[in-house]
Amino acid sequence: MNTELCAIKGTREGLVITIRDAVQFSEVLVSLERQLLASQSFFRGSSAKLYLQEGTLTDSQMDEIERLIADYGMRLNREPLTVQMPRPQAEQVATETSEVREDNTLLVRRTIRSGQRLHYDGNVVVMGDVNPGAEIVCTGDILVLGSLRGVAHAGAEGKVDATVFAFRLEPTQLRIAHVISRAPDEKLPQPSGPEIARVVENSIQLSVYNH
Amino acid sequence: MGKVLVITSGKGGVGKTTTTANLGTGLAAAGKKVCLVDTDIGLRNLDVVLGLENRIVYDLLDVVEGNCRLRQALIKDKNFGESLVLLPAAQTREKDAVTPQQMVDLMAQLREDYDFIILDSPAGIEHGFKNAIAGADAAIVVTTPEISAVRDADRIIGLLEAAELYDPQLIINRVRPDMVRKGDMMDINDIDDILAISILGVIPDDQDIIVSTNRGETVVTDKKSRPGQAYRNVVRRILGEDVPFMDLQERKVMHWFKKILSGEAQ
Repeated sequence: MNTELCAIKGTREGLVITIRDAVQFSEVLVSLERQLLASQSFFRGSSAKLYLQEGTLTDSQMDEIERLIADYGMRLNREPLTVQMPRPQAEQVATETSEVREDNTLLVRRTIRSGQRLHYDGNVVVMGDVNPGAEIVCTGDILVLGSLRGVAHAGAEGKVDATVFAFRLEPTQLRIAHVISRAPDEKLPQPSGPEIARVVENSIQLSVYNH
Repeated sequence: MGKVLVITSGKGGVGKTTTTANLGTGLAAAGKKVCLVDTDIGLRNLDVVLGLENRIVYDLLDVVEGNCRLRQALIKDKNFGESLVLLPAAQTREKDAVTPQQMVDLMAQLREDYDFIILDSPAGIEHGFKNAIAGADAAIVVTTPEISAVRDADRIIGLLEAAELYDPQLIINRVRPDMVRKGDMMDINDIDDILAISILGVIPDDQDIIVSTNRGETVVTDKKSRPGQAYRNVVRRILGEDVPFMDLQERKVMHWFKKILSGEAQ
């Protein structure tokens, strides 16, 4: 599914750049730069740690990574990781029950605006709005304590029982696992209260939220 | 110490330059010393809107490259003289000829002599935009009641926050109350719902703007002009006064009323 040699992920320790195989160092750099480009200034101002799955890095290679991410406004934190990173299985098959740890949740205390993208390995809670043109992709559930008008993709690695909740659920597009739905072209009456979206028989259904 | 305001929008053609010219003139009319800076290198037009194009000798690039002293490049306004000056953009060069650091240094110099420095940002989110916001203390985002302009304004607000320019203020330009009333145009609440930043002003659409822009004049000093009144209110809000928003609907009623009266008179 994912052929990139490295990945930038948010964890409880902050950002972690996971490098799948340090032996192919030049390709790792290419892959890293591509992802930094794709995320634009999203990571600007943050610092990241490195996590190696295979091989080791020399000091000069570390310096090279440091220089590359510095171009995108990030700093390299060379301290070792204290949390255990999930080791990918030999073949990463997205199963229907791929478990997301309940405590792995990112809390965002601001509005996500057009052009901003948020990718997270876990659940995402936004205390604010998700505006049109913004995108949230995560492997778990998405809760928006505000209006969700952008694109939301929950259960991005195949978790079909993931849900998307918002006080005002009016997304441009909604994706849960492999199921995609979009807003109808005709204008709908505005939802009167909180709604929740989940996959029912291979399509996404919205319902009024009753706990 | 002067304050540096950047006028920006993302989308082109929403009225950044007109807004810069009017706020600058309005602040000067209120007794402040104002310097307007056109940062749209290669596509300058603030000088044209102010009717100062034929006086340009040196430009912003000459200043940062040391070809002239700052004072030599500043062009005095026709009506306000020393208290309203323009630093024009270079027309013949590329946008990346200036660096953000050079802009920060330039702003530090201008702050010494002026109460307000207003930067007219180019459209877009590239190099020119980054230059324009580099030395700014606060940002004013201009939008029109169109979905695409609001979307771009939202993007700009996100980028401003990323650049640590927090709490930008919004000017909604070219509002047509008659269209809003019929539901053909986004109203202020729709825009506020998405952007959720404080609104500094709502400028009604009016042909005065086009007429005055083409003459190289500003509407803000025209006592009879509706957009001029709206800009004067914005100026007072920038100066810290609490000015209520003018009722755009009221005018329509008055307008009809006057029409009927004049119709009867004839």
